[in-house]
Amino acid sequence: MTDTKTLTNAPMLAIRHASKTFGLGTPNAHVALKDLSLTLMPGDFVTVLGSNGAGKSTLFNAICGNFYLDHGTIELGGKDITYDKPHKRALSIGRLFQDPMKGTAPNLTIEENLALSYSKQTRTSFSFALRKEDREMFRERLSVFGMDLENRMKVKIGLLSGGQRQVVTLLMSTLVPPKILLLDEHTAALDPSTAENVMDITKQIVRQNHITTMMITHNMHQALVTGNRTIMLDEGSIILDFPEEKRGGMTVEDLVDLFSKRKKEEFANDKMLLS
Amino acid sequence: MLLLIGSLQLGLLYAIMVMGIYISFRILNIPDLTTEGSFTFGLAVSAVCVVGGHPYLGILVSILAGALAGTVTGLLHTKLHIHPVLTGILTMSLLYSVNTFVLSGSPNLSLIGKDTIFTILIQQLPGLDKEVVKLIIAIFFAALCFVLMAVFFKTRLGLCIRAVGDNTDMVTASSINVDGMEVIALAISNALIGLCGGIMAQYQSFADINSGVGILVVGLASVIIGETITGKRSVTVGFISAILGSVVYRYIIALATSTNWFPAYWLKFVSAVIVILALAIPVIKDQVQFKRQKHQTSVDRKEGTL
Repeated sequence: MTDTKTLTNAPMLAIRHASKTFGLGTPNAHVALKDLSLTLMPGDFVTVLGSNGAGKSTLFNAICGNFYLDHGTIELGGKDITYDKPHKRALSIGRLFQDPMKGTAPNLTIEENLALSYSKQTRTSFSFALRKEDREMFRERLSVFGMDLENRMKVKIGLLSGGQRQVVTLLMSTLVPPKILLLDEHTAALDPSTAENVMDITKQIVRQNHITTMMITHNMHQALVTGNRTIMLDEGSIILDFPEEKRGGMTVEDLVDLFSKRKKEEFANDKMLLS
Repeated sequence: MLLLIGSLQLGLLYAIMVMGIYISFRILNIPDLTTEGSFTFGLAVSAVCVVGGHPYLGILVSILAGALAGTVTGLLHTKLHIHPVLTGILTMSLLYSVNTFVLSGSPNLSLIGKDTIFTILIQQLPGLDKEVVKLIIAIFFAALCFVLMAVFFKTRLGLCIRAVGDNTDMVTASSINVDGMEVIALAISNALIGLCGGIMAQYQSFADINSGVGILVVGLASVIIGETITGKRSVTVGFISAILGSVVYRYIIALATSTNWFPAYWLKFVSAVIVILALAIPVIKDQVQFKRQKHQTSVDRKEGTL
């Protein structure tokens, strides 16, 4: 995967020949990542497509360090993080899940949740987590979303709706812009109009802060119109990769055609091998 | 009058232990059985220091003893992945032998006639009544611990600990060392409990190997009583409720024993029943609500309004 735009710049994320098999050596061995290579330039916004089990979330888990690779390396911001512990790399990674409950602490208030993620880079352990100027900054950042969250900062997060929680989580992950933002179907559990609203807010935050982003989605149309590049995963490797100039004007039908063509080719190759 | 002041003294002193239990039970969400051992551990080391003529050192060492006990429990859970309830039981069991060793193999140790922080201050403040001095010391320790804890849980570290007890998934994803947080929280919780044991030894001028038995239930009952008074709000209010709960618990006991409602040996039974009731109330409420709803629906159906 070479990036055509900015070859002179150093990549933000570089995954080289990543492989992972779960349950290696058992009858249940499952190849989750197969020699996957991917390079993202600073500011890239890549949408990730693929059916269930294609390896999308596994790819995110590999970047976050939920497991270590069998082969290959991961570099983030020019630093090799292949064997860094999850909580260490989390400093430079923002991640949102499909389940809005996962990203926030329900019994902590909105401002405490925000302080938790904001103070991780700005404060030492024994300094106060929430100062007056923080509170004002949070209020200002929340007011942009038009959800009246700025007036409910002392409310426990558990009392908010899924959409509101997801917006707070999004702000938490981007208060200090991360090196990479990983969005794992973060609007899939929301109703259509809230999902659209959260999506708009996402685009706005990513654009303003120039954050390198990867977003998993099952909505092919959304994948083609969001960001500047679309990749499709299948059985743990990237089978289609469209930079901005190639995917312009592409429709969902084109994408489906290409995908099934690719699958048929593969199938034919397998057949040749077997016969 | 003596009973009134005495119960207040006890309530405030035990409040230090209740604050420790509030940390493990409410903030970390772990019923930490280390309590029973760490209380006695603090008590034993403090008593031995008093016998050696160092009452102030005894208080300090009891804090460290409790923290050590909590650290062991925390490491057993986070590093060896032993179930949190079992880790507490294991540490408690380990400590039983350690405590007997500290008390030189005897089951109890009398400090009558030795200098304790209480006797020293009573001598230094001859103008004041003995009981008032004891009360002042109790207020001093309870207030000091309250302020320290209230401030600590507003720091970055304190906030992280609260988040660990609330949503572990999220905390891992936000660059916090979950294991480290849990060990620190358990160490602080048991440091408070050890300190309480250390002060109690000097307060009663007596240390007994079985002092810690049932203390967890007493602590839980106090936490729950406190929460019914103040309601569940912020952590600072939580620590206030722990102190209130502890004092109210002592008054309930004083009332029960002075009116001869029941012999003193039923106290642990009563404490356990308080805890069971408090934990069961939400479930019972739900069931009553469900039955009522069901009944109403069937009535509506008969009357044809549904």
